[in-house]
Amino acid sequence: MTLSLVLQAVFAGVTNGIVYALVGMGLSAIFKGSRVINAMQGEFAVIGAMTTVLLLTKSGWPYPAAIAGGALAGALVGAFIEIAFVRYMAGKKASEDSFLLLTIGLALTLSASVLFFIGRDGHLLPPIGGEGVLIVLDAVIQFHALWLIAIGIGATLLLRAFFHRTTLGLSMMAASIDPDGAATTGINVARMRTFTFVLGGLLGALGGILVTPLIAVDYTLGLNLTLKGFAAAVLGGLTNPLGAAVGGVTLGLVESLAIIGISSSYKDVVAFTVLIVIMILMPQGILGRAGRRGG
Amino acid sequence: MSLSSIAKLAGVAALVGLSAFARPSGALAQTSGEPIKVGAIVSATGAGAGLGIPERNGLLLAEKDINAKGGIKGRPIKIIVEDDASNPDTALSKANDLIFGQKVVALLGPSLTASTVAVGGVTHANKIPQIAFTGIGPAVERERKCLAHVLPPQRLNAQALLEYAKNIKATKIGVLHDAGYGNVVMAELRPLADKYGVKLVAVEKFEIGATDTTTQAAKVKAAQPDAVFIIATSATPFRNVKQVQITQPVVAAIGSSSYEYVNAMGSAADNITIPEFVVGEDPLPHQKAFVDLYKQTYNATPKNYEAAAWDAAHIIAQAIAKAGPDAGGEKLCEALRGPYSGVLANYDFSADDMTGIPLSSFVYSKLVGGKYTRTPFRVTQ
Repeated sequence: MTLSLVLQAVFAGVTNGIVYALVGMGLSAIFKGSRVINAMQGEFAVIGAMTTVLLLTKSGWPYPAAIAGGALAGALVGAFIEIAFVRYMAGKKASEDSFLLLTIGLALTLSASVLFFIGRDGHLLPPIGGEGVLIVLDAVIQFHALWLIAIGIGATLLLRAFFHRTTLGLSMMAASIDPDGAATTGINVARMRTFTFVLGGLLGALGGILVTPLIAVDYTLGLNLTLKGFAAAVLGGLTNPLGAAVGGVTLGLVESLAIIGISSSYKDVVAFTVLIVIMILMPQGILGRAGRRGG
Repeated sequence: MSLSSIAKLAGVAALVGLSAFARPSGALAQTSGEPIKVGAIVSATGAGAGLGIPERNGLLLAEKDINAKGGIKGRPIKIIVEDDASNPDTALSKANDLIFGQKVVALLGPSLTASTVAVGGVTHANKIPQIAFTGIGPAVERERKCLAHVLPPQRLNAQALLEYAKNIKATKIGVLHDAGYGNVVMAELRPLADKYGVKLVAVEKFEIGATDTTTQAAKVKAAQPDAVFIIATSATPFRNVKQVQITQPVVAAIGSSSYEYVNAMGSAADNITIPEFVVGEDPLPHQKAFVDLYKQTYNATPKNYEAAAWDAAHIIAQAIAKAGPDAGGEKLCEALRGPYSGVLANYDFSADDMTGIPLSSFVYSKLVGGKYTRTPFRVTQ
């Protein structure tokens, strides 16, 4: 095992980890705000990426505008799902498993719609920062991956500031911690729940758009990302979006280091053993209770 | 002869020429009578759709072609195509329906090995000839002597890769393979490597549908191979090999030859060599008629799986013509066993592997800018 190989594994691990983190953060933001485990979080990534691809190639939008359009599509679908389904079901006092079933159904529907309307083909987006690569000690990282990491970290910090420093963010937290108390202080709890879905859709779409220059997006990508994002969120502490960020990067690193540590044949065995050990030692997630107080 | 009569003659000649041109030559042949029903099962949806959809196209084109040329001794052929959704259980129930409900005389397909093995249980027990769009799979298929295969066994795919390594004098090989198809080919490749004087310096695996294999690719790169084999059914490893800047020749197994994967490779789809059979951009003389007809009909370039299905339909039609449409399964199987020169390959269904494809049937193509070009290299036997 050489230093360059370790560095290559770290590059790959952090890059993948940030994508898991973005999906996981969206998942945990939604769970925090609505107690819904959103099994279609990965589909937000597909919606964001596919919309960007279509705006860029079919409608000829400039790349930054197409990215904004893709992210907006994710946010809008998030809002739509809350208003059209979740709000109605919450009014009927639906249980947590009903919501899980709802989002699983939506995930399958969306994946099938992409297959039906757009087709089986995988689509790529141009890399941000061009095709260039940075070479450190023989290990290679693409400029795009550096951008992905930077934007991912930026989004995480913004999310933290949003929850801690803005009235809207604080209201959303209040509505999730104590809905009745929040309602008596004049916070529109239902609207806050819509916003958590908007936020979840936005983060998922951003993850999808950022990963599409590295891996082609197709109708099957969503489930894969949901599973990794869910693992990231649980690992970090499900009610804490920042925990999902830590969880995502941990997951990415464990996966890639397992490949060089032992053998790629045993990658999943090693990775999941490590994850199980973490969950046994820290059942509240890596950030644990500290994270539960805020986010 | 006056000038006007020459003009008249020329006009008549032109008319005759035109009408001959406008009418497909085969349309002169009329079919009549009860259609001869042949069943087909493909994976038109699910994980195997990348194979099943081209195969369905190949089948329907073959049906049209056979009927336009007079059918089977004057009777039209009807190919009933069913989708198994890439699921062996579904394949089995569709096979039962086709055989016992629709009373087909033979079965074509399925697309995937697991489904082929499942369906083989019914066709074998009931002596229904079957031509699968797979290479021969587990040992049980060797006993099923009425089950022909139109794609090469994995051992042959492994040999085709090694032949190319020998040709470019690569003795140290790095391999990236997936946990499904890649595993099966690898199992055949390992014992063969020694015979070819090839040392496998790095063998790295990744799960089916993996979205990132850069670390595996970096490990292959670190082993400093002379060439890299990629055995997979996805575009991901090809992109990752380029990302970690592996500059050695990349040779890919036939599984990633479809345009679906090539398009998803993006700029990484360059300078990859693939041992395969049909290069639609530059077909061999005996493949040209099929490729032209396919392009005309579907406005797309065909590849291996379209050709395999096309061959399967023609093979069964020929066997039915030889044995007679009401000969029954056993006679049909007899008629099936023998050599056949197809578009994809030169088969010999009397061979032990029920395929008989020789290594010389492989052509080696190279991807240049997302398009295939045929290289002059062939294995001579």
